[in-house]
Amino acid sequence: MKLKVIIASVVIILFIIFGSVSFLQSNVEYTDVTGAMQKHKKVQLKGQWIKDKGSSFDPATTQFTFFLVDDSGKECKVVLDGAAPNNFELATSVVAKGRFTDEGYFHASEVLTKCPSKYEAQGSDVKKQS
Amino acid sequence: MIGSILVKVAFIACLASVASYLQHRRRPSPNLLFYARALYLITVVTILATAGYLLSLILTHQFQYTYVWSYSSRELSLPLLISTFYAGQEGSFMLWTIYTGLIGVFLLRHSSRKGYEPEVMAVYGLIQLALLVMLIAKNPFKLVWDSFPGQVEAGFLPANGRGLNPLLQNYWMVIHPQVLFSGFASMGVPYAYAVAALLKRDYTRWIRPATPWLVFGATILGTGIMMGGFWAYETLGWGGYWGWDPVENSSLVPWLVAIAGIHTILAQRKTGGFVRTNLVLGMSCFFMVVYSTFLTRSGVLGDTSVHSFVDPGMMVYWLLVGMIVVFLGLGMTLLVMRWKEIPKPKSQHSYSSREFALALGSAALVATALLVTAGTSSPLITDLLYGKKSAVDITYYTTTTLPIGVLIGLLTGIGQLLWWSRSKWTEFLRSLAVPASVALATAVVVAWLVPLGFLTALFIFGAAFGLSANIMVGWRIVKGNPKFAGGAVAHIGLAVMFLGFVASSKFDEKRTISLEQGKPQSVMGYQMTYTGYHPIGNDKYAFRVHVLHEGREFTVAPIMYYSAYTDGLMRNPDVRNLISRDFYLAPLSLEQPSNIAEAGTHKVQLKLGETKKAGTVDVRFVDFEFPSDQREKMLAGQDVEIGARVQVRLPNGATMEAVPKKIMHQGQMTDKPATVASDATGSEGYEVTLGTMHPDQENRENSSVEISVKDLAAVAAAARDAAGKGDILVAEASVKPYINLVWSGVIILLVGFLITIVRRSQEATAAAEAARNPDRVEPEARDVAPELADGVQSGIA
Repeated sequence: MKLKVIIASVVIILFIIFGSVSFLQSNVEYTDVTGAMQKHKKVQLKGQWIKDKGSSFDPATTQFTFFLVDDSGKECKVVLDGAAPNNFELATSVVAKGRFTDEGYFHASEVLTKCPSKYEAQGSDVKKQS
Repeated sequence: MIGSILVKVAFIACLASVASYLQHRRRPSPNLLFYARALYLITVVTILATAGYLLSLILTHQFQYTYVWSYSSRELSLPLLISTFYAGQEGSFMLWTIYTGLIGVFLLRHSSRKGYEPEVMAVYGLIQLALLVMLIAKNPFKLVWDSFPGQVEAGFLPANGRGLNPLLQNYWMVIHPQVLFSGFASMGVPYAYAVAALLKRDYTRWIRPATPWLVFGATILGTGIMMGGFWAYETLGWGGYWGWDPVENSSLVPWLVAIAGIHTILAQRKTGGFVRTNLVLGMSCFFMVVYSTFLTRSGVLGDTSVHSFVDPGMMVYWLLVGMIVVFLGLGMTLLVMRWKEIPKPKSQHSYSSREFALALGSAALVATALLVTAGTSSPLITDLLYGKKSAVDITYYTTTTLPIGVLIGLLTGIGQLLWWSRSKWTEFLRSLAVPASVALATAVVVAWLVPLGFLTALFIFGAAFGLSANIMVGWRIVKGNPKFAGGAVAHIGLAVMFLGFVASSKFDEKRTISLEQGKPQSVMGYQMTYTGYHPIGNDKYAFRVHVLHEGREFTVAPIMYYSAYTDGLMRNPDVRNLISRDFYLAPLSLEQPSNIAEAGTHKVQLKLGETKKAGTVDVRFVDFEFPSDQREKMLAGQDVEIGARVQVRLPNGATMEAVPKKIMHQGQMTDKPATVASDATGSEGYEVTLGTMHPDQENRENSSVEISVKDLAAVAAAARDAAGKGDILVAEASVKPYINLVWSGVIILLVGFLITIVRRSQEATAAAEAARNPDRVEPEARDVAPELADGVQSGIA
């Protein structure tokens, strides 16, 4: 009986450690450009698209490139695998998931766009005779 | 008005029903019981009337109701129009309430026959009550002028609604939420029975009436999860059937807990053990439903998910917190109070017994549920730890569930090969021989064909072991009594599904491709040719791609369209099922050959006197050129030309001067570019345009202008280049081998559940008959004996 309890507790403790370690390791933290440059691991880079610098899609490499500026004003080139994300032109801010490369750009596997409360209705929308 | 009143009537009736049931429990009286039942039925009828009223508002386009205006429009087809009923939060809570009510009517009859009615219906009524409170708070009958006070005048009738999110405009929208919410609703029943058991101090018998409901709920919820996965795969173009998204996880977790409960309840039926475990698991299915609802509906996940979770306001947040506190509190308080008196069987469990395998299996399922819950709650956990919200990466779910999956695969086989209470080790080990060798062979062959990680190979071993053991055992059961095959069939389905997970995730090949119109391109052994697009109605366009693969030809036509609702590009993939694999094409965008207008244009910011390179030329900003009578002209309302004098140094060394200007005409600015000939012939040169100007009055040196230089030769070259080329379709092509294993596995799994439901409900009816007819032997008394015919244990779900 004693042995049973000990084995069960060890298994449970190992399980908790396994779960917590996996959790902490795979936690993708939000950061700014400086943070992304320092940490050479997967992060979520939050910022805004610099419209003046444009954006381009290269059909040869199927990569989408744009420039991002974070809240502190630091700029960074972002290369996304794939085409421009949905609502890219309208987004108030974007979140790029990926890592900063040695070549000096942020290599993103996914870019999420945050749109100006697109599902939140306003009184003016009601009046619009759509 | 009517709607809001109806909801409140239902609330009061439900409250009175719960109160009557509780009073009847304290002092039984036929009158009270009659009132309690009648009030509950009134509650349900009122809920149905409320729902009917909302539906009629939607069908007749009463856009003065905010909910109707927000989610529907005149253009929707009838099935989709009906589905807008639950497109928003208010309506989906209403759907949940309806199914809880309908299930309650059956539960009332069922529980009264089992002698559990007052307790079960009091607790179940409490769930109904909580949902009605939610409906009072999130009222779907609000009028637009009440929702937007001051912005919309009373009595205003919008001409049309905002419409349904195009992502939801799909036939799955008609069926999937219905199935999911009836699954959620049925999870309330095991909770009610478990709490009733604690109230009645009847700790062991409750599992018998509760089991069919638990299996039913698990089947329905499982079906709903599968439908969601298929929806995501087939039309949403997420590339897969499962993305570990909070919304998906929130239906998976209660399902896992229910499955764990089904297994330990089975062990209790056979051995009398696991009494406390089952009380906890029986209640947990519903806790998990409520907690998941809290995660996905209260807005706590914030921006951390792809899904946009609209913040529903503090009211809903606190109501959901309240629901967790009330139901968790009620269950746990009773459990703690009664803990000591709950019987604990003295029998020692042998490690070589089926119940031990079942207990381990349930523990593995609960562990999976906990890991998934922790992952889904990661924004809450990181908020506590670091003070800012962030989500775990998807790899978290795969790395943590893979080892547990190995264990689950093995246990589905081991459990079937073991006897109840005690098996002879030698016999057990001998029975392992065949399935273990089949599994080893499978894992080795697969690992030899394709490079695999060790854990993945182990996962394949586990699944193959479970598969072969269950086929062996299942076959013998079917020869005996097919009704008992539910468990074996469900386990076969699970194993097939597991193999499908590996095949479709590890062997998935995915490439982003750019297909120029009319130009064949070979990727992953598939020759693809984009042949153009055509309208398919509703302003949608199908992009046809001709595919040639090993002598087979077919066409896929993914869809893209602009949606005014989301103000963005919507994309639907197209899938071709090739039996052994799926060919999946998800469109990304349609690109013009090259951007002619921007080709060869270079923009520079120049300070006074500064020189910078702009493409092939150097540009120097010499000075501004403002007319001396600028002020007078402006005051007179005449056109004013302002410019900048620049020097352009050509590649051949010649320096030319240009004065690009801006013309101010009644407050409007227009560009007046200057051209610079590249050589004496002046055929193709450069066009110089003046951008924004920043004159600095105090320190002239700091003045700057923006100048763009367009190389006309380069532009012409780009245009010539583009003329011969077609549009480029950018898409993600993927080959998913054996994904059909996943779908067939899920279907086999659900068939297993159905077999079990039929068996258990027949048994329950027989048991009820036996209770009325004490001479007849209760089927459970037969116990395992007849099932042991040829030395193999039966598979029981």
